[in-house]
This record gives sequence, structure tokens and C-alpha cells, in this order.
Amino acid sequence: MTLPGRSVADAHVVRAESLTKRFGGVVAVDDLSFELQQGTITGFLGPNGAGKTTTLRMLLGLATPTSGRAFLFGRPYAELAEPSRRVGAVLEATDFHPGRSGRDHLRMLAEAVDLPHSRVEEVLRLVELQEAARRRVKTYSLGMRQRLGLAAALLGDPELLILDEPANGLDPGGVRWLRDFLRAFAADQRTVLISSHVLAEVAQTVDVVLIINHGKLVTESSLEQLTHRTAGSVRVRTPASASLAEALSRAGIQFSAGENETVLVYGTTSEQVGDIAFAANVPIHELVSEGSSLEEVFLGLTEERAA
Amino acid sequence: MIGQFRAELLKIRSTRTTVGVVLGMIGIILLFSLLTGLLTKTPHLVSTGDQRNLLGVGDFAGVFSALAGIMAVTSEYRYGTIRPTFLFTPRRTRVLGAKVAAGLLAGAVFGVVGGGLGFGIGYACLAGRGIDFALDGRQIALLLFSTVAGAALWGAVGVGVGAIIRSQVGAIIGLLAWGFVAENLIFGFLPGLGRFGPVHAQDALVEFTTKHLLGPAPGGLVLVAWAAALSVLGTAVAIRRDVD
Repeated sequence: MTLPGRSVADAHVVRAESLTKRFGGVVAVDDLSFELQQGTITGFLGPNGAGKTTTLRMLLGLATPTSGRAFLFGRPYAELAEPSRRVGAVLEATDFHPGRSGRDHLRMLAEAVDLPHSRVEEVLRLVELQEAARRRVKTYSLGMRQRLGLAAALLGDPELLILDEPANGLDPGGVRWLRDFLRAFAADQRTVLISSHVLAEVAQTVDVVLIINHGKLVTESSLEQLTHRTAGSVRVRTPASASLAEALSRAGIQFSAGENETVLVYGTTSEQVGDIAFAANVPIHELVSEGSSLEEVFLGLTEERAA
Repeated sequence: MIGQFRAELLKIRSTRTTVGVVLGMIGIILLFSLLTGLLTKTPHLVSTGDQRNLLGVGDFAGVFSALAGIMAVTSEYRYGTIRPTFLFTPRRTRVLGAKVAAGLLAGAVFGVVGGGLGFGIGYACLAGRGIDFALDGRQIALLLFSTVAGAALWGAVGVGVGAIIRSQVGAIIGLLAWGFVAENLIFGFLPGLGRFGPVHAQDALVEFTTKHLLGPAPGGLVLVAWAAALSVLGTAVAIRRDVD
């Protein structure tokens, strides 16, 4: 299925350089820069209204940035020679004429870029819609529409998939189907960018997370690193936070200072923190193990910047 | 470019909207041809000009090809298919160019159907009432040609208007308000200006006998200019505006 002449030399499949988008006085995306490496699945996360969709629209040339630039495979999207053979994207699950059949929807897109009708049938099989292909889209369930959108994105057999909130409205079976599909897609050294406002939805799928809030990049890390922040976070209340901080630093343990004489210690256990404090002669007034969930970390990251 | 054109034709063919517009056109032309052909008093159906007014009722096809042109653009915005369309073809000039070409072709087909229907009914009315046929072969050919050409140009006008306004309801209301009200008012008060409007250019093209109209050739050129200007403006607007 791989088309010839595919460049694997581009280190960055996607590259956003200081992307900024203003709507009147509102800054939807604010000086956003990031890069995607080939073969990774990146979760593009943030609460609703954080600027995810606007960013994706700018990457894909549907919206013009107020300032900054976006490159896919080293070029602005509109300047790619055959964009549908490099990039497949689904921005809305409902981008169909309700009175048109699923097959005709795919055919009109295939015609525009001279893809053969046989390719339409291939992607219909791939997303398991060949039975319903003759029916008009208004008879489709939301899950079927999601798959039809995905089929359209896959028509050109692209190297990069960009999906905006693909899990919205999918039942658990559909979510698992999508996860397996994206895993197989990325295993072939292809790249995926999926947005979501719910981390848990994509946590089992993605390798890397980009978290944005109010149009700004809040966190860029591997899912592994993010998961570390959940494991054994310990809240310590002590009148000698400076001494504790020093002792923790010596032990190479990550922490951050909280309010009211508290210190948050990451990636460790309450026993270890207690032992370190005892050895450093630090009095402890409270020691609480806080096994926060991934979702809590996500919410914490997006809320602390909200102020 | 050929592929994009074929894609645009498939879009027009693959929904029932077009069928509805064609049926609407057939209904209106049937109605007006029969009313004019049966109710007009015989003395008003003798001259070449009067007969042309009857046989040219098919030029109503222009309204419907404009509607089809509007639909070809606005339904993409309304249902969001504009997103995959522009993702597959980010060069928006190419998309809009193909839509204008498809609008011209679809409009020509509307013109053939509408013009043929109007002519056929008008002819049947004249024959049925025993009125002598006043048009010669050249005049008939010109009438049918100008009906088809006019309808084709209105298809392009519709694409341009749709691309500028984008809202389906807004574009349709705008077209009808301009065609049936605004331009008639302008023509009524300032015929020297109003005759350069697209509707009166179309009337001139098919040689209706209304006073103050341009000649058929200048009328045709004015209509070409409208179609070209609106197509170019619509394309420029589509290129500049963000897609939600």
C-alpha cells in the first residue's frame, strides 16, 4: 500500500513555529511551537476552547495564522505537491452532505486527486463500511460517520494522520477499534496527531502528549514522564521546607513548593520522604501520599495556568 | 484540474438537491409557458417579438441554474464538506475554478431542458390556436442558443454569489431579492443603469421586447462580465477567508 517516492528524511513531520491566531481581541492560539517526530502518536490535549482545533486548522491551511508558521514535511500544507497522499485529516465527524451516500462522498474526494475507484473500495473495507456504502449518510450512526471520515483521510494512504477529537461519540468497542488502528498505523513508521479534551481517552494510545491551555503550550512530555508525576506524589507539610528541599535535591528527587509550608514530592513514596526528612532532621507536621490519577495531573496542569 | 472538475460534477449529481431544482424549473416553465400561451390574446401573439417573448419563457432556466450554482458552493459550507474539499485540494483557486466550470456546464444543461421545454410548449400553443409561426430558423437557433448560454452564465453567477455570501439561505434570498426586486426597481427608475444589471442583460440576450434593453450582443457581453466578475470575486473571497 505504500506509495513510492516517500521521503523519510524529514526529521520533523510537523513543525509549528510561534503559531498565533487572534480573533478580534481574543487570542485563540498564543505563540505555540512544537514538533512531531516520525512514527509517534502524539496526543494534543487541552480543555475545550484551549485552541486545539484552531491550531489544527492552521497546520492544515484552512486558517491563516495571525503570525508564525506551520510546516508539514518541511512545507506549508498548501504547498505540498499531493497533500492527500502525505496527510490525512479529520476535523469534524459530521463533514458530510446528509443526502449523499458514503461511497459518493469518498468518490468525489478521490476524483479530485485522481485516485482510482478501487482505492475507495479499499478504504471502505478498511473501516468496515462496505455494507453501508450505498446508503445516504443521514442514515449513519455517529460511529459510522467517524469511520467514514477516517476512510476519507486514508484515501491517499498518507504518512501523517491528524484527527480532531476522534473518540467523541464512539462506543467502547469503537474506541478500542480506533486505538488498535492507530497503533498499527504508527507501527508502520507513520505519524499520528490526535486531539482530545479528555486525557484518559487517549492515554492508552499516545506516546507523547502536548498539553495546551489558553492557546499556550503547558506541557510537552512523553506519556511515561507524565505518568511518573502520578506515581507516589507525596504532600509534606513542614516548617523547615528549605531544609527538606535541600535534602530532596541531594537525593535527586523531584519536588515543588506548595502553599502553606507544603512541599509536593514526585516519583517516590511517603516512607522514603519520611526517612529523608528524619535523616536531615526536618520536623514533619503532615505527610500524605497522594496517588493522583493521570486525569488529575492533566487537570492540574491546565488549571494552574488558567488563573 | 480535470479530476477536480469531475469531482464537482459528481457533487452536483450525487444528491437529490439538483433533481429538486430541475423539477422546480420544469414546473415554473410549464406554468408560465401555458399561462402565456393560452391566455394572451391573439393580436399580442402575432409579431416576431411577441412570439419570442412566449417561446423564450425557458430563459427562467437561468434562475434555477443560479440556484444550482449557489448550492454547489453553499452546501459545502453548510454541511462542512468544504473542509475535506480544501484538504484534498488546498489550492482554492482550483476548487473554485472547477466549480465555476461545473456551474457553466450544469447551467447549460438547465438551459437545454428549460429552453427546449419553453419553446416546445409555446410552439404547441401557437399551433393549437392556429397562429402563424413568425420566427425563421435563424431566429429560433439564436433564441435557443441565447437561452442555453444565458443559463450557463447564470450557473457561474450562482457559484460566485455562493462563494461570496456562503450562507445558503442568505445567498438564495440575496439572489431572488436582487433579481425580482432590486434590479427591477433600478431598471424602472434608471433604465440607463438598470439595463446593465445581469437580469436585464439576460433579457437583452434573448431579445425580449422590453423598452430600454441593450441589444442581444452587448447584453450577452454584459452577462459574461457579470459571471466573470462574480466568479473572480467569489474565488478571491474563498481564498482569503478562513474555513471554520
